[in-house]
Amino acid sequence: MKQQEFFSTRWALIISVLGIAVGTGNIWRFSRVVAQNGGGSFLIPWVIFLLLWSVPLIIAEFAIGKYSRLGPIGAMGKIAGKNFSWMGAFIVMVATGIMFYYSVVTGWCLRYFLSAASGNLMQVDNHLDYWNQFASGYLPMVFHLIAIGIVSFVVFRGITNGIEKFSKVLVPTLLIILFGLFVRAITLPGAIEGIKYFFTPDLNIILDYKVWLNALTQNAWDTGAGWGLIMTYAIYMRHKEDISLNASLIAFGNNSISLVAGITIFSTVFALSTVDGNSNALQQISQSGPANTGLTFIYLPKLFGQLSESVFINSIFASAFFLALFFAALTSLISMFELGTRTLIDFGVGRRKAILFVSVIAFLFGLPSAINMDFLINQDWVWGVGLLLSGAFIAFAIIKFGVNRFRNEVINGIGSDVKIGKWYNIVIKYLVPVQVIALVSWWLVSSVSWDPEWWNPFHTENAGTALFQWLIVITAFLIFNKRMYHKTVENNK
Amino acid sequence: MRIETIITAVIVLSIVWGGLIYFIRRALFYERQKSLNGKD
Repeated sequence: MKQQEFFSTRWALIISVLGIAVGTGNIWRFSRVVAQNGGGSFLIPWVIFLLLWSVPLIIAEFAIGKYSRLGPIGAMGKIAGKNFSWMGAFIVMVATGIMFYYSVVTGWCLRYFLSAASGNLMQVDNHLDYWNQFASGYLPMVFHLIAIGIVSFVVFRGITNGIEKFSKVLVPTLLIILFGLFVRAITLPGAIEGIKYFFTPDLNIILDYKVWLNALTQNAWDTGAGWGLIMTYAIYMRHKEDISLNASLIAFGNNSISLVAGITIFSTVFALSTVDGNSNALQQISQSGPANTGLTFIYLPKLFGQLSESVFINSIFASAFFLALFFAALTSLISMFELGTRTLIDFGVGRRKAILFVSVIAFLFGLPSAINMDFLINQDWVWGVGLLLSGAFIAFAIIKFGVNRFRNEVINGIGSDVKIGKWYNIVIKYLVPVQVIALVSWWLVSSVSWDPEWWNPFHTENAGTALFQWLIVITAFLIFNKRMYHKTVENNK
Repeated sequence: MRIETIITAVIVLSIVWGGLIYFIRRALFYERQKSLNGKD
């Protein structure tokens, strides 16, 4: 199959991939995890794993996509060999499993933006009741459908006219809004207390292994490294496009945005919690609430209501925040849809039919998460941990291909502005696998301790449910491995 | 403000934001070079 479309410039590619990386994880998950892990104590390992996990894996994804010009199934077959297309299918499954509930979350953000823009949100007395009423009604399904409709339209228009064009509007707008909120937040009286907490390390906490594991998980979550999404966009890189510099720019850009969002939220919460008469700001940031929604959908709207006496001004800030959140979620969701669509295109399906199929499946399989919060939480757990396996599979494929050959021929090949040194071999060969083994083992062992029936696949958030779902899909993919390889690699030669 | 707070802020911000600025400057430099050479 001849490559038809490319991102028009380096900056178009960077903005589009930044759209993948910057999602709700940067805005609401990051702040919560920082608060739960001792503020500044968390930031040090978080920066270290930016270098040891995010940068190497984003480089790997760019290189695999550019080299293979195929979605993850074909790419893994081409890089690791014909016996390993199932690993690519697992990567697709993990991103698709996340897509099913991520469109529901995108819908929540849209709903809250509309509610804030109309002024209704700022007139609510009890935000917990408001959230519960919304979550238990039919509206999450409606907004899930709207999110799918918007994303399908963008992906249907293709790379240059769809993803690139929309990313060029959505991502800069998101950054401008975030920067505006950042300036307002740090100038609030009392904001300095939040900033102080954000950067103050606790030397007792920094030695706790859980802080390090959480820092690694956060990097895996919010950069999009190991998801297969960047690999998919890299298919559309121009031939003379650089890999390592672009990948580093995206990884550092993503984490820079996390810092902006974190400082904004800590400043806002610490400054306005005092107004509220509730000085326990830290508890408010770190409290999870249903599906970790506590801070974003319950507490922040309450705080926005206390920004000033004017409902109009408060509504402007609240709607700006939820619009930024919606754009962040939307650009990530677009990439998940493109991943599914590109996978079907590799199998010989036309883009129009592929996007229609992906949309219908996304709507139907997202419905349980839109209706039942426990289902959403469980899927978040199963595929969130699965993401780490995806990262391991990518590292495995490169090891199988030959790390040195991969570095010299693919990463440092045509178009590279910056050459990557031998340090990359050590990171991919040893450090990424060690990080995955440590993290997956920790998560599974932890889940055993909190559920005596850890093996029961019908319990939520335990080892059994994750292992059961992974086993089913991996078995199915192993059975169809040969056929998948033939369809994606052989037929596209 | 405590000294360790300032040190952490300086380390984190200089690596993450400093790194971003460095990579943007490098990308701009290579893009300018390519356009001067007429390669793009």
